[in-house]
Amino acid sequence: MTTAPIYEARNISKNYGSVVALQDVSLHVGAGEVLGLVGDNGAGKSTLVKVLSGVHAPEAGQLLLEGVVRQWDSPHDALELGVETLYQDAGLAPHLSVSANVFLGREVVKPGLLGKLGFLAQKDMDTRAHEGLERVGIAVPASKRSVTQLSGGQRQAVAIGRAVSWARKVLILDEPTNHLGARQAAEVLVAIRAAKAKGLGVILISHTLPHVLEVTDRIVVMRLGKVVADAPTSEFSADSLVKTITGVLDARSGG
Amino acid sequence: MDQTALLFLVLVAMVVVFTVINPIFFSSAVFANILQDWGPIVLMATAQTLVIVSGGIDLSVGAALGLSGVVSALAMRELTASGQSAWSAMLLGVLVAGAVGLAVGLVNGVLINRVKLVPFIATLCTMGAALGLSLVLTGGTPVAGGPAGSIQFSSKTYLGMFTVPIIVVTVIVVAAGLYLHKTRFGRWTYAIGSNQFAARGAGINVESHLYKIYALSGLLSGLAGMFVYLRLGSGSASSGVGQELSAIAAAVIGGTSLLGGVGRLAGTVIGAFIITGVLSGLIIIGVQANWQRVVIAALIAVAVGAQGLSNESLRAK
Repeated sequence: MTTAPIYEARNISKNYGSVVALQDVSLHVGAGEVLGLVGDNGAGKSTLVKVLSGVHAPEAGQLLLEGVVRQWDSPHDALELGVETLYQDAGLAPHLSVSANVFLGREVVKPGLLGKLGFLAQKDMDTRAHEGLERVGIAVPASKRSVTQLSGGQRQAVAIGRAVSWARKVLILDEPTNHLGARQAAEVLVAIRAAKAKGLGVILISHTLPHVLEVTDRIVVMRLGKVVADAPTSEFSADSLVKTITGVLDARSGG
Repeated sequence: MDQTALLFLVLVAMVVVFTVINPIFFSSAVFANILQDWGPIVLMATAQTLVIVSGGIDLSVGAALGLSGVVSALAMRELTASGQSAWSAMLLGVLVAGAVGLAVGLVNGVLINRVKLVPFIATLCTMGAALGLSLVLTGGTPVAGGPAGSIQFSSKTYLGMFTVPIIVVTVIVVAAGLYLHKTRFGRWTYAIGSNQFAARGAGINVESHLYKIYALSGLLSGLAGMFVYLRLGSGSASSGVGQELSAIAAAVIGGTSLLGGVGRLAGTVIGAFIITGVLSGLIIIGVQANWQRVVIAALIAVAVGAQGLSNESLRAK
């Protein structure tokens, strides 16, 4: 792929106190490309996600969105500019309804004076949440139901549908198929392809290597806070990917 | 059945029981008195509901009531001594009481957001500090000498039981209910109490929202302080002591979950009626007044226990 990157991290370093979490990490994703980010526990994937999504500021390095250097002061900044993140196991507010979750932080208010006072256009959001989830291929539970009443798979589906339907440029998914059954995981992969077709740059973090091999265009492997491989998915087999992650097979140059 | 309707039935049953034991209970004089007790309690319980729904707790509401009552009493005394009219003194009283309450709430916000104390400890500190400060300011004696006629103004009833302050309180509570249940502010309050991390991830500025919630809680408690001043004609450091217990009880009886994310203001309003009704009823049927806090504590235990049981039966389904 030779498309210009839509989102790029250059030489990112991040420490927690004296612990080095990320060391000189660079990666990029193109529009309409699905990038797999894999690595063992403690490799630094989650920290990298938090830097990419604006939760943490890096100590060194740059983030470039569409070629422009950006600095996120909060996740809100990244969201505003079209970088949407689905965090591992933390996506939804369980006591709120499906549509309230889909619109969380982006509530639609009534027109006119009531809207200025912050009054919500609830019916409008219920309808649009349903349509939005359906469009990305998520089997939708009723908009008004409380998330507490949904199964684990349904909750994850709502969280992913929410992220896909809001993302305008980049979609970061941290372990989206965790704890899911085979059929629900397949739905997630469908949603990822929908996001790719929509022209988003997708970064998929996952331990489920068959999913990564199935849905990604390119894979970045991290180990101990560094990028140790960055190559098209076609160059990996299940076996060579595991070996690269564990360090048995060292530093692929990418073909 | 709808939980609010169930609570209403409990309230009605309570009225029936007290009336059967002593028919005097069912009179507009007793109801007017219950309403006067209800006013400050429902203001603090409304504040408490906002805070508890957001996943916190505010133990300082009673002490904020006391401090704002005392400070506004001092301000009104000064203004009255300088020969100003009763109306301007009362207006100043409302402003000062609200400002003092707001200040207590902002201190809570700073302790929670900046010093990173959990709400329980943060508000426990401000509770102690506010009570101590009101004792320092007054030496423990009630502050009178405010505008003449304030008691007459605040106790004049319409339709046998409604006073001007009660009407104002009702308007405030209705507005707070709309704010909590119909607006973005309310939605974010529930989201933060339900899953703070999800709220953050959705781009909500949790810190700034918590500032607003605790400030609002302080403001409402300050107004409760003015309410009590108008009723008694003096401000006293001790007037809020123990009241946080009643406010938390009203919210919890009304169905607000101490775990956050769950609660309806209509429930809190009825909860406040149940609390104040029980306290008046016990006195009318001859129970010694010193039992009051024991009864409130027992009501909290019963309400929280019932919530736990209903959660378990939901899960069992």
